[in-house]
Amino acid sequence: MQPDRKARLIASLPAWGATIALLLIWEISVHVFQIREFILPAPSAIWEACVSAWPNLLRHTLATLGTVLMGFFASVIISLPLAMLIASSPTTSAAIYPLLVITQSIPKVALAPILIVALGANEMPRIIVTFLVAFFPLVVSSVAGLLAVPPELIELGRACRAGRFQELLRIRLPFAVPFVFGGLKVAAALSVVGAVVAEFVGADAGLGYLIQTSMAFFRTPLAFGAVVMLALMGIVLFQAVALTERLLFPWSSSVEGTTTATS
Amino acid sequence: MIRLENVNKTFRGRDGTAVEALRDISLDIAAGEFVAIVGASGCGKSTLLRLVAGLVPTSSGQVMLDNAPVTEPRTDTAMVFQAATLLPWADVLRNVTFPIRLMHQHDTKTDDKARALLATAGLSGFETKLPRELSGGMQQRVAICRALLQEPRVLLMDEPFGALDALTREEMSLELLRLWSARKMAVIFVTHSISEAILLADRVVVMSPRPGRIADIINIALPRPRSFEQEGTEEFQRCAARIRALIFKGRDANAA
Repeated sequence: MQPDRKARLIASLPAWGATIALLLIWEISVHVFQIREFILPAPSAIWEACVSAWPNLLRHTLATLGTVLMGFFASVIISLPLAMLIASSPTTSAAIYPLLVITQSIPKVALAPILIVALGANEMPRIIVTFLVAFFPLVVSSVAGLLAVPPELIELGRACRAGRFQELLRIRLPFAVPFVFGGLKVAAALSVVGAVVAEFVGADAGLGYLIQTSMAFFRTPLAFGAVVMLALMGIVLFQAVALTERLLFPWSSSVEGTTTATS
Repeated sequence: MIRLENVNKTFRGRDGTAVEALRDISLDIAAGEFVAIVGASGCGKSTLLRLVAGLVPTSSGQVMLDNAPVTEPRTDTAMVFQAATLLPWADVLRNVTFPIRLMHQHDTKTDDKARALLATAGLSGFETKLPRELSGGMQQRVAICRALLQEPRVLLMDEPFGALDALTREEMSLELLRLWSARKMAVIFVTHSISEAILLADRVVVMSPRPGRIADIINIALPRPRSFEQEGTEEFQRCAARIRALIFKGRDANAA
C-alpha cells in the first residue's frame, strides 16, 4: 500500500505544479499590469474575500449543495427505471426517446422562469431544473449499458430457460453497472450546472444567487470565491461517485471498453 | 439421438426480404458422437447449432432429440461460443456455476463439482479470480467448464477456439478430446479449420453457402486417442484434400 501511495503522489506532482504555476502567473500579472479588482481579482484577493465572508459563503454553499443533491438523486431515481423501460423493447424505445430528445432541446434557462411561476418560489422548480439538466446523459449511458450485453450471454440465459426478469436482473443490470457509473459521473457534474442555472433565475440563497448579488455590487472577488466553491463541489461529487463505484463494484472501474456514452 | 429432418430456415431481413440460411438439412447424430461442421462464412453453421439448441425455430422440417421435437431450449444441451462471454463481475467459480444457478438447480454439491471440474481443466487455484485476470485460453477453458458442469448430453460449440492463438488452440483441442472421452456426450463442433475438424471429429459435415446445404459428410477413420502426429498420416491428408475440394468446388460453382 505504501509504495502505491507514494507512486500516486509522484504521478500527481505535475498537475499540482502546473496549478501552482498558473496561480502565480495570475497573481503576478494582476499586480504588474495593475488590473482593477472588479475586472479580475488576484487569487490572494479572492482568498481574502472568501475568508472574510466565510459564514455567508458557507450558508450559500450548503443551499446549493442541497439543490444539487436533490436534483441528482431525482435523476438517479427516474433515469434508471426509464432506461430499463427504453431498453425493454424497440417499441417503448421509439415512443420515449423522441420525448427525451425534445426535453434536451429546450434550453433549461428558458424553462426556469416558467417553472417558478407554475410551481411557486420554493425549492421545487430548482430541483426540477437540476434534474432536467442532469438526467439525460444518465439515461443514455444506462440504456447503452443495458443493450451492450453480448448477444451470446443473452443466448446463454435463454438456453438456461431464464425469463425476461431473470435476464434483466442477473445479466443485463450487472452488465450495465460500468455504463451507469459513467453516466452518474457526468450527471454529478451537470447537477452543479443545473442548480446554478436555476438559482440565477429565481432564488434567495445559493451560490448562483451569491454570484449575481455580488456582481451587482462589483464584489468580483466574492463572486470568484463562489465559482471556486462550485468547482470544488463538482470535483467532490465526481470523486464520491467514483469512490462508490470502486467500493461497491471493484470489477467495474477497470472493465475494458466501457466509455461513458455521452454527447 | 439427434435427428434433423429436411430442416429449412429462412430469416426475414429488416427490409422484409427473405434470406434463406439453410436448405433441406438432414442429419443423424448418435449419442456420444463427435461431429464437426466446416464451411465458408455464411453457410449457416451457427444457425444450425442454434436450431439444435432450440434457440431458433425451424421454418420447416424438424429437429428431434431423443425422438421428441426441439421447440425450446433444453436443460440437457449446453453451448460454448467463440468468445468466452463470461460475466465480468463474477469470479471463476461463480461463472462456472452460473447456468446451474439460473436453472435453480444449485445445491451444496454444485460448488464441489465445479472445483473438481476446474481442476481437470488445469484451473485449480483460479476459482476466485475475475475473468479479466485470466488469459484468453483460460477464459475459454472456464466457458467450457461452465458448459460441462451442466452435464449436458449434447454439447454445442460455435468456433470455440476461433479467437485463440494457434498454439493455445492445439493444446485446447487435445484437452477437449480428453474431457469428451471421459463423458459420453454428443458434440457438434462448428469450425473454420479443416485440420481441427479432422483431428477432433468422428464425422465432418461439409457445408456449402448461400443457401446453407450439406455438401457431403466425411467419415474420419483415424484411431483414437488422436494426436497431432496423425496429421502426417495418409488418412488425415486424404480427408483434408476431400474437404478442401468440397469447399472450393462450392465456391467455383457460386462464382460461375
